[in-house]
Amino acid sequence: MKRFIARRLMQGVVLLFMVATIVFFLGRLTGNPVDLMLPEDATAEDRAQLTQTLGLDGPLSEQFLIFIGKALHGDLGTSIRMKQPAAQAFFDRLPNTLVLIPWALLLGMMLGIPLGVVAALHRGGWLDRAAGTVAVLGVAMPSFWLGVLLIFVFSVELGWLPSSRMGGPEHYILPVITLGTFLVAGFMRITRSAMLEVMESEFVKLARIKGLSETTVIWKHCLRNALIPVLTLWGVFVGNLITGAIVTETVFAWPGIGRLTYEAVIYRDFPLLQAVIILKSILILGINLGVDILYAYVDPRIRLA
Amino acid sequence: MIRQLAGAMALAVALVVAAIAPTRAQNQGAQDQKGTLVFAVESLGAQTLDPILEGRPGNAVYQAIMYDSLVGFDLKKGGVGPGVAERWELSPDGLTWTFFLRPGQTFHNGDKLTAHDVKFSLERQMGPGSLASAAASMKRAIKSIEVVDDLTVKVNTSSPQIGLPPSLSRAVAPEGAIMPKNYIEKVGEEEFRKKPIGSGPWKFVRNVPGDRIEFTAVANHWRGTPSFKDLHVLLVPEESTRVAMVRTGEAAIASIGPETMMGAARAGLEVVSVPGTMQAIFQFWGTWKPEQKDSPIAKPRVREALSLAIDRKQVIEHVMNGKARMPYPFSTFGYTEYLSNDRWEKWANEAYRYDPALAKKMLAEEGYPNGFELKFANTALPGTQFMVDIGTAIADMWTKVGVKVTLKHYEWGAFNPMERGDQAGLVGWASMYRTAGRPDVPWRYDGAFSPESIQRLLGDKDNCNEVCQDYVKTARALGSELDKAKRTALIDRMVEIVTNTWMVVPIIEGMGYYAVNTKKVGQFEAIPGRHELGDVFERIPRPEQKPWKK
Repeated sequence: MKRFIARRLMQGVVLLFMVATIVFFLGRLTGNPVDLMLPEDATAEDRAQLTQTLGLDGPLSEQFLIFIGKALHGDLGTSIRMKQPAAQAFFDRLPNTLVLIPWALLLGMMLGIPLGVVAALHRGGWLDRAAGTVAVLGVAMPSFWLGVLLIFVFSVELGWLPSSRMGGPEHYILPVITLGTFLVAGFMRITRSAMLEVMESEFVKLARIKGLSETTVIWKHCLRNALIPVLTLWGVFVGNLITGAIVTETVFAWPGIGRLTYEAVIYRDFPLLQAVIILKSILILGINLGVDILYAYVDPRIRLA
Repeated sequence: MIRQLAGAMALAVALVVAAIAPTRAQNQGAQDQKGTLVFAVESLGAQTLDPILEGRPGNAVYQAIMYDSLVGFDLKKGGVGPGVAERWELSPDGLTWTFFLRPGQTFHNGDKLTAHDVKFSLERQMGPGSLASAAASMKRAIKSIEVVDDLTVKVNTSSPQIGLPPSLSRAVAPEGAIMPKNYIEKVGEEEFRKKPIGSGPWKFVRNVPGDRIEFTAVANHWRGTPSFKDLHVLLVPEESTRVAMVRTGEAAIASIGPETMMGAARAGLEVVSVPGTMQAIFQFWGTWKPEQKDSPIAKPRVREALSLAIDRKQVIEHVMNGKARMPYPFSTFGYTEYLSNDRWEKWANEAYRYDPALAKKMLAEEGYPNGFELKFANTALPGTQFMVDIGTAIADMWTKVGVKVTLKHYEWGAFNPMERGDQAGLVGWASMYRTAGRPDVPWRYDGAFSPESIQRLLGDKDNCNEVCQDYVKTARALGSELDKAKRTALIDRMVEIVTNTWMVVPIIEGMGYYAVNTKKVGQFEAIPGRHELGDVFERIPRPEQKPWKK
């Protein structure tokens, strides 16, 4: 098990280095923050001074080495725009995103898993097709469009819910629905295919032969076993939520790390963009590692593989 | 003796009344302030309350609320007006500007605002760590700053700097923001950034990164006493969400783009437009280069024909939803200083007319009866996305007079670096561009036409033709001209030189747009040329104080 974890950690470090390199160079291809900070009639002198003040005047290779060197010591740089340590800006906003994620996951599971079970039980029937339609809609509907639609219906027309921003429990409903709808579809499809596989298993046939009620067979034996692959996909879903939050947080003016990423891109805030992507990567790698370890405990074949 | 006693008593009474009166007025002012004014905006820039760390838009959106600027606005006309300094004058040799401060100004912690704060603020804008866009220019221009007395400060310049007061006015730039010397020196920069103190009509309360900045009104202020007690500036990047917030009453005012105006008006919201905030323009790059001498766009009459082919009224009506106007010549507005504004307005109305038949005739006369191929870079500066639609519309209009337009869209971040260096990607091209509304012509013209500028649209140091030299001569004469009439004549000449080249051609004069919930705020007007409302909030009444006229 230790070797398994060590191997995964090594893979994670290599991956992080690759992410840092790609983000550093790709970020700079998108333009220069100086262009956004100076008015159109700025002199060459003003440009040179600001470039120097921001530390963007050296060769790119030199800037990269400085960045990697500092990152190895835990310093991800200072945000050009906010003038505060980029990592601190990330951790300041992280809780605002994390409060949305459990609710979106819960919504996805509470709707997606029962729908998946029902679809599997009525394979080929109209209930299966209806659940399939829900799944397609959930995946196909852009969260941007869904968010705006929800605001229009529930805030503007009906006046039931606030349109945006953090606040009391009522502020969470629309962002959670927007973020969670994609998960409903995901959970539904995985549960359905896992249920179909489990329902064909020998132990299920045995349970039926033993005379257990259909409810017990389905909801106790089948679902419990079908949930194992579902749970392993948690890591992927949480990763999707963290990255997918960019759109939801922008539409709902939610000050989380999704919005922070958007702002870093818009303002060409290279240090902030690098920090946000690297820290998000660490977060997702950590969650995936946790899930992998958990799965390896549950299924020894994973460790051996 | 009795008369002396009576006189002394009268004086004492007068002093007591004088002492009490402002307090009463202040209390009255404070009692009149009610409710919260909520403003939703698409960007809060760096969201820092330290003026040396924020550029132009951010400063005008939320820093202007709590800081005063050395030079202020002409509220009616737009352009430069009194600010922290009531008046200013230039020495006969043109090397010293003296600013006379408004007496009785205080910072929010009670400290008096004096000439020492002005000197400290200007030096801080030029100092290390400042991200002020004009820091280097200020350092070059300003030799020293002297405090004469508490209400008088002298700025000595290394050469005549006629345009210094406008550049210290928020009508133009944020570098004139006045910060509290004693407070910053006492608590340090870090603490100042957490608990900033200004002298504006609103006091800082709270800054929630990525979400909002909250202010509370001061009782009395020379810029105007706020009618609302609190002001919340919310960061809401998505425009449809901002409009929804105004419709539900969660926000009273929200910034919007021209494409949203019609929808907002149909939804029952008031749309406030701010005149003269920018010009959408098209311009030609590197046409003076020897290798471009045979290019159609190297000929001024071809460039003029391209202007005549543009139906500006259609652009105003259909792209800007009627909320824009015919432009003045490049970078000039109704409020431009030292300009024969009426003359140029008349000229522009005639010159910028739509005459496709004449455009075709002129192209034929220049040797292009079947048109020519034109490469056109379409782009939009941040916050002016509608420029892409304008660019697409004019490319279509050029096609109608026979010009074969190769249209390429550039994101601003990709376009901007191309205008520097040898401009390899732009030479021989036309492109969209913008100029912001500002009252002084020379600064912007210098950035576009000086042979030493980045854009150098008329020529560079090695290739400065007759027109370019004429421009340089006029600009040089203007730099040291102190006489107002002669200065106006020189600026008129400068505008004339540029308009005759048709090198930079305005398409429309744009505006800032805001959706307003009339149940949340009363009727107000923005400052002409000032896109952002940072200097307007204190003059916005509550709905019961001044209901909107139907």
